[in-house]
Amino acid sequence: MSNLITTAAVAPQREGAGGPAPVRANGRPAARRRKTLIAYLFLAPFLILFIAFVAAPAVFGLWMSLTDWSPFRDVQHFVGLQNYIDLFGAAGSDFWRSMGATAIFVVGSVPLLIIVPLLVAILLNQRIRGSATFRTIFFAPYVLGVAVIGLVWGYILDTQSGILNHLLGLIGLPDNLPWTVDVPWAWYSLIGVTVWWTMGLNTIIFLAGLKGINTDLYEAASIDGAGAYRKFVSVTMPGLRPVMLFIFTTTILASANMFGQSYLLTKGGPGNATRTAIMYIADQGLSQNNMAPAAAMSYVLFAFLAIISIINFRIQRERTEEGVS
Amino acid sequence: MNKPWARRAIGAGIALAIGVALTGCGSSGGGSTSVSGDGEYTGPKVDISFWNGWTGGAAPVLVPKLIEKFNAEHDNIVVKNVPQEWADITSKMPLAIKAGKGPDVAVLHGDDLATYAAQKLLLQSDDIVASLGYTAEDFPKGVFDKGNYKDAQYAVPWSVTPLGLYVNKDVAAKGGVTEIPTDKASYTAALEALKGAGVQGEWVDGYVFTGTFEFQSLVWQFGGELYNEDVTEATFNSEAGVEALTWMTDLVADGYSPANVAQDGNIKGLLAGQTAYNWNGVWQTTNSAFEGLNWEAAPVPQIGTEKAVWSSSTHWVFPANKGQDENKTAAAATFVKWMNDNSAGWAETGELPADNTVRDDPALLEKYPNLKPFMDQLDYAHYETVAPGISEANAEITTALNNALTGKKTPKEALDDGADKVNQILKQNQAKYGE
Amino acid sequence: MTTTTIDRTDAATPQRRPTPKRPGSGRRATAQVVLYIVLILLALAIVLPLVWMLITSFKTDADAVRNPYTLPSPISLDAYTTLASGQQPIFLWLWNSFLAATIQTVLILVTASMGAYALARLDFAGKKVVFGVIIATLLVPPVVFLIPNYLIVQNLGWLDTVLAITVPGAAGAFGIFFLRQFFVGLPVEIEEAARIDGAGDFRIFFQVVLPLARPALATLAVLSFLNNWNDFLWPVYVLLSPENMTLQPGLSMLQGAYSTHFAIVMAGAVIASVPVLILFGIAQKQIVESVAGAAVKG
Repeated sequence: MSNLITTAAVAPQREGAGGPAPVRANGRPAARRRKTLIAYLFLAPFLILFIAFVAAPAVFGLWMSLTDWSPFRDVQHFVGLQNYIDLFGAAGSDFWRSMGATAIFVVGSVPLLIIVPLLVAILLNQRIRGSATFRTIFFAPYVLGVAVIGLVWGYILDTQSGILNHLLGLIGLPDNLPWTVDVPWAWYSLIGVTVWWTMGLNTIIFLAGLKGINTDLYEAASIDGAGAYRKFVSVTMPGLRPVMLFIFTTTILASANMFGQSYLLTKGGPGNATRTAIMYIADQGLSQNNMAPAAAMSYVLFAFLAIISIINFRIQRERTEEGVS
Repeated sequence: MNKPWARRAIGAGIALAIGVALTGCGSSGGGSTSVSGDGEYTGPKVDISFWNGWTGGAAPVLVPKLIEKFNAEHDNIVVKNVPQEWADITSKMPLAIKAGKGPDVAVLHGDDLATYAAQKLLLQSDDIVASLGYTAEDFPKGVFDKGNYKDAQYAVPWSVTPLGLYVNKDVAAKGGVTEIPTDKASYTAALEALKGAGVQGEWVDGYVFTGTFEFQSLVWQFGGELYNEDVTEATFNSEAGVEALTWMTDLVADGYSPANVAQDGNIKGLLAGQTAYNWNGVWQTTNSAFEGLNWEAAPVPQIGTEKAVWSSSTHWVFPANKGQDENKTAAAATFVKWMNDNSAGWAETGELPADNTVRDDPALLEKYPNLKPFMDQLDYAHYETVAPGISEANAEITTALNNALTGKKTPKEALDDGADKVNQILKQNQAKYGE
Repeated sequence: MTTTTIDRTDAATPQRRPTPKRPGSGRRATAQVVLYIVLILLALAIVLPLVWMLITSFKTDADAVRNPYTLPSPISLDAYTTLASGQQPIFLWLWNSFLAATIQTVLILVTASMGAYALARLDFAGKKVVFGVIIATLLVPPVVFLIPNYLIVQNLGWLDTVLAITVPGAAGAFGIFFLRQFFVGLPVEIEEAARIDGAGDFRIFFQVVLPLARPALATLAVLSFLNNWNDFLWPVYVLLSPENMTLQPGLSMLQGAYSTHFAIVMAGAVIASVPVLILFGIAQKQIVESVAGAAVKG
């Protein structure tokens, strides 16, 4: 037991510390062609699926956004950027308001979806009895589908007959909070339910990241006289950086694509205040037969997400480089 | 129950009718449909699929029973029941029909018919309908015509579902109210009396199923209309509309209703003994949660200047699948006729059979006395507006309502803003579906 | 604290644990108690809503509506018998969901692990472009794929088959992104050693890299399974027959178009939840074991 190879079970932290993929000398062109061939053999199964069901539809969707496409019409007209011009020409339109709703949700939920799981992971990383049990419990809601989440929480959060308001009333708090009916309560509900539902995922990823941090670093910090906070800042946080990039990126994407919670819990209300971009796009594209404008909208959303992600990558990379030097 | 005078015509007409419908739609015709003299399909054995949104209440038990019976009586037709959420049907059926994978027969709500027809997703069924012997007189006033789009008939009525007033009598008695209110004065008095007893008598919400349909009923009661004649402009923000919505927001302002009622919170409150009145659809009559409750349903009270009530309707349609097999459509027509003839049991699901002969049979009310107040309202019921893409416009009405009831906007602002949106949508719809 | 029974992970990698050294065992004990209280409260917040779902499912229909805050009286299996004897083949849907999720998971594990290995370790022409394109699609909102993929699946003749709900979903970029991250972090030395021993790329992949990647594969397997299990938009469109339906769209059907039968709806939610919760309970152990296993190797 004592001569364990301490290769990281969760490895990403090495990416920042050590160099990434080794670049082997590639001498003659023949050898290089062979390597390329082998690499594409490895990639082939995925690429076939990817081209058929991701790349092709993405291109098709882009083309759709440049036409007045509808599956129910025989002739389609190329309209150039008209769908986009319509979108950008209409400030304050339903689309932009739904983008605003998505922005509110992202800004409200992402910090919580990172901070809460990080704290929980740190707690669970202490030597405690039943750590595995707690971890299982915290992750459990994540395995449930959004349909179940909507049913259970809709029942709990009902203004008049939900048990949450009833319990609040019992301890002398207001018992008529409009959890799913009015803002800002609807936002608290949506964010709270999302944290309840998905915090387990980020928690286990953080936990894996924490376990991957070399204990020697903590020992060294202790010898230097560092306290708990100092250790957190100078050992834990840098150690989690690569995991952080992954979590940050996936969490923003997940929040920006939020749909089911609003759709099931608040029906987008009050008015359309909690109707997110995805909910609006799905409605336009699938229920209202506005597929071409909907395609344009989804590419606008894509552009926003791409910009945010690139900024995110840049910032995190700079930090990582600082950490290395 | 069958109309003998019509029967003779059926067989002769139906074969021709389906051929016409299919070729009229540009689908592959060819071959002759086999239908016997009494309208029964006599061709080779076919499987037909039947899509419907009956997922709740008694329907999941009743529909399979009816289909089993039909299948047993017809050895050359096997009907396959495909129930799913109405919302799912709305989003998936058009695509499925285009792909040739849609149903051979389906039931749709009245407000969907024009949208489907405009997209050429349904077979023009004038001749099928005629050969089955149906005319507008066979159904409650105004229902048959909901299936009419650009002078062609696309649907056969199946059921109607008006709104009514549900009363929890034990709760009403707390305010000393024993009579069920029928007009504005008595309704307000009842709410006031209940308020005195610490009960909020009607919980008003800003969602579909209750709030939206209550509002629409009120607009008509105040003499307004939701849309203009040719559905090119919203009129629900008229004086009548503002009056209707103000009456609803006043329920909250006057303390007769709590604020911020969640969707369906009102019927739950009624069932739980927390409130006395709920404007809800006839479909609630068969809600098993009513068991053991002292309740009654009544016509909705007349708040405005005239009697009016919202009602939905459901209709049979024959989808124009890519490569639709005319034998299947013929078998589907036979099925539709049989179902309507045997629709007496349909009241079990809390919907009123549309077929007058079936609905007016005294045996129906003997078995389902709760339906009486709903039937009594059919004379002045208003059905859903028909126009391609109307559901997108209707959604804005609910949004306006919701904005007003949550205090985001005054009733007038909410309705005016909603009307602006709707007018844009209607214009887009004309471009999208017109031609 | 030192006598604490340690879980499997601890047993495998004891010296890798951060061991907070604090002066004074009294303070440590207090901290320990606070820690437990926080964790237990959090666990209750997680569990209670689910318990409430379970409790409600044992009420009668009328009881659930009229007495929403009490325990079931009487305790009733009505909701479950209604579902079991009901016209909706809920257990068939359960099986369909299980089958689809399994097929898709296998597809993802095979394709993504091979592809990710190439992207992480092999040097080839066009690598940056391929990787860039794959990552970029991670940012495309899934709705954009819905209609085009519907038309593709339709043309392949896959509508209303298990292929429609397994194959397109296996093409997502997440798996390959996730595994690449992992492979990049694996120490190169072992592979180099194998290469010196004369092993080719395929042998290195199957015999060296994959065993090392077990924890990541297990995690990806669980995530892929859940993802497919919980998908509720796509199956609605591509599945047409009741007998081919999966549980999530089925669940929304159970909500009932008209009435609010909470006990039945909650029973449906319970039936949809219990299998994944059990499966997760098992898979969770699996992950922990493979983490330990990978670490002990050699």
